[in-house]
Amino acid sequence: MKKFSLPLAAVLLALALRADAALSVTAETDRNTVPIDGNLYLTVTVSGDSSSVPEPKLPNMQNFNVYDSGRSQSISIINGRITTSVSFTYILSPRFIGLQRIPAISVFNGKEKAVAPEIQINVTKAGGQQPAPAAAQPAQRPARRQSARPAAGQAQQPGAEQIFIKAEPDRRSAYPGEQINISVKFYTSVPLSSNPQYVPPSFKNLIAEDLPPVRNGETEINGVRYAYSEIKAALFALSPGPAEIKPLTVIAQIPSNEPVDPFDPNFFQNLMAMSGAQGKSKEFTTETITLDIKPLPAGAPADFNGAVGAYSVTASADRSEARTGEAVNFSVTITGNGNLKAVTAPKLPDLPDFKVFDTMSSLDVRKDGDVISGKKTFTYVLVPRAEGRRSIPSIKFSFFDPKTGAYKETRTDPVVLLVEKGAEGGKNVYFNPAATQGPVTASGSDIRYVAELAAAPALPRLAARVNRLPLWVHLPPAGLLLLAFWLARFNRFKSANPLLFRFRRARSEAFRDIEEAEDLIKAGKTNEAVSVLYDSFMDYLSDKCGEKVSALTMRKAADLIRQRFPAAGERAFEEIRELWAALELRHFSPEVSGAEGTSDLAKKYSLLIELLEKELRA
Amino acid sequence: MTAYKLLLLLLLAAPAAAYDRSELAEFNDLYKSGRYEEALEGYRGVIAQAPANPRAYYNAGNALFRLNRPGPAVWNYAKAFTLDPRSSDIRANLDFALRQTGQRLVPETVPAALHYVYYLLSDGEARAAAILLFWLACLAWAAAFLLDGSPAGRAAGRTGAAAAAALLLTLAWLGARSATSPFSQAGVVTRQGGARMLSGPGDTFKTYASAPEGRLVRILDAGDDAYYEIGLQQEGIKGWALKSEIDRL
Repeated sequence: MKKFSLPLAAVLLALALRADAALSVTAETDRNTVPIDGNLYLTVTVSGDSSSVPEPKLPNMQNFNVYDSGRSQSISIINGRITTSVSFTYILSPRFIGLQRIPAISVFNGKEKAVAPEIQINVTKAGGQQPAPAAAQPAQRPARRQSARPAAGQAQQPGAEQIFIKAEPDRRSAYPGEQINISVKFYTSVPLSSNPQYVPPSFKNLIAEDLPPVRNGETEINGVRYAYSEIKAALFALSPGPAEIKPLTVIAQIPSNEPVDPFDPNFFQNLMAMSGAQGKSKEFTTETITLDIKPLPAGAPADFNGAVGAYSVTASADRSEARTGEAVNFSVTITGNGNLKAVTAPKLPDLPDFKVFDTMSSLDVRKDGDVISGKKTFTYVLVPRAEGRRSIPSIKFSFFDPKTGAYKETRTDPVVLLVEKGAEGGKNVYFNPAATQGPVTASGSDIRYVAELAAAPALPRLAARVNRLPLWVHLPPAGLLLLAFWLARFNRFKSANPLLFRFRRARSEAFRDIEEAEDLIKAGKTNEAVSVLYDSFMDYLSDKCGEKVSALTMRKAADLIRQRFPAAGERAFEEIRELWAALELRHFSPEVSGAEGTSDLAKKYSLLIELLEKELRA
Repeated sequence: MTAYKLLLLLLLAAPAAAYDRSELAEFNDLYKSGRYEEALEGYRGVIAQAPANPRAYYNAGNALFRLNRPGPAVWNYAKAFTLDPRSSDIRANLDFALRQTGQRLVPETVPAALHYVYYLLSDGEARAAAILLFWLACLAWAAAFLLDGSPAGRAAGRTGAAAAAALLLTLAWLGARSATSPFSQAGVVTRQGGARMLSGPGDTFKTYASAPEGRLVRILDAGDDAYYEIGLQQEGIKGWALKSEIDRL
């Protein structure tokens, strides 16, 4: 038992992983053996649990020419779980005889990757003959190559091209979205070493769809028998104006007829080339083809979404009876000829009786008779809101028919649903309930989505504005700071040295008092004027001496002044004494102070101050 | 009356809001539909009009990343990061793009939180903060001097001191970042296939290293007309590369 436990666990783990995988891809061919002149179908089926699954990216296959043959899609919504399966069909035409390999095909949906294993194909000679090893039967050539050989008895015309290529569109002018078929014919009058490789062209203002399979045949041109291979493609113009089919290339392996030099270092390679197993590679290229794309005529219906072709539209619901709150799948199918990939969902009319959820589309493309046709189904999930007989009105679809050159309109029939009251009323519908189960696990990483808001965030925007300010704008605060600093220093100095400031201010205050006294004299108030002058004189001397002089006698005051200002001259003292005495007399005996005498005193006081300013220097 | 005034203000603000929503939205629609070249053109137009808009650079970086141009994508993300380093989207995409080119936004030896704090402000924001702190310090100290000795004056003095200290710290932070940040004095190799590093500014000098596309490089000298002297910090090598192959941040 023990020895089985490890493999058992591995099997269980593999089963668990398989059950968890939502994306899967399978690849199969319609046969495993194909003659060199035949084709085989490769069907790649991608399944997933979302409404859209990725298209497989086919690996580079040098041993096959690959043509897209169409796609078929099925989408199902059961209990809100969406399952999609898309089958992509390709036609592969082999290029070499022998065991060829279709490499592993992978799909990646941004989260998961799924891989289909490689397939081996046995390519035989034409007519079902089994290929022999090239070294053993070098002379044998596949039938396809034999068919490319000029018919027996046909002489090669001198000057005629042995191999050439022609590319011709079936029309040179078309409307946007109208199908244009291009036929590429590769003619050869000589046998080739292998089937040529087709390198599709690039396009300007066009999109292309392959129209497989490759047609082979023989024809005679100017008396020369040619084998030809024809490849067709459908083109759809995108917009009015010029469109271009750029040069396309066919690479053919032409057997070399040059003699083999036995001393050539590539002797064996050349020998193999001569034997037909390998040839000289040569490219054949077409010219650029220009097409004229006409604008669609005016008068398009309002609901016209650019669909060009011939279409019909039908609508159906997956049931005719439902309950409120239950999901009903309502499908609108557009069927017809044209570029269905470009057809967009028709606009649903207002459905007040239903909640409308996501639209999913599925696309089936066929290429029968070199015409791109098929159907595109848009599935809406509708949830009835109210019970009763509810109708979904007819849906209009407009398209441009290039054959008639007119816009046409087609409508669906109304769809009627009988809605009964649901058990829980209008309950919520959740899609992909499986996705909500279990913890969230990161399965991949990518860059985050673009920012929706246009404006820069506030802070960087503000910063940018501040940084854009010119330098001089930032000088005022610095100037203000310096000014405030000086003022603070000045105030502190002033507070610390009051006598100094009184000393300096004494003169200006004395003159202010003199002006006041003169005003009083003019007003006839001589007594008041004398008082002002007396007080002013006492204050002036006090400010100069730094002590209150009015409390001192004239002599003590003179001693104090002499002590403070030793350099003061006698004349200054005499003048002081004289004015002091005159002011005291008039101040204390107001009856002697006439207007004229008072005015003289003011002038005298004024002159004395000018004198003292010179004499009383600190 | 107040209601009418409010309504008038709203009406005035509405066009601005609509413009804000629609300007990038138009190009985002192109991006959404896979038309990255056209979206990129649009984003470049927005950048030309508003060179300090980090979102426009971020979106341009996204379009370039989708166009498989890691070099210009890194340059745009780095530019957006230097303008708005706090944006989680910008950080995430810059880191993602750097990792595609073998680099990391947050060095392995540095805790993510410390890195976030280190780049909390962009260079522009730090410069603006320094200017505002300078104003605050000057005005607060001026008030402190004018209100000398009063409680309000002392409070203003403390505010001024705090602002001055913050100013010094901001300047030190800016200086340190200028010396150490890989986004300062930097450029990005935007040439497809990478840039050749020569041993001197000219074709006559030997090629001795190459810097891959998307690589952040330090621009050591931009004096030459045609060549930058660049340094690769991780490898510790320096050389000269054509200016046309390096886009300066």
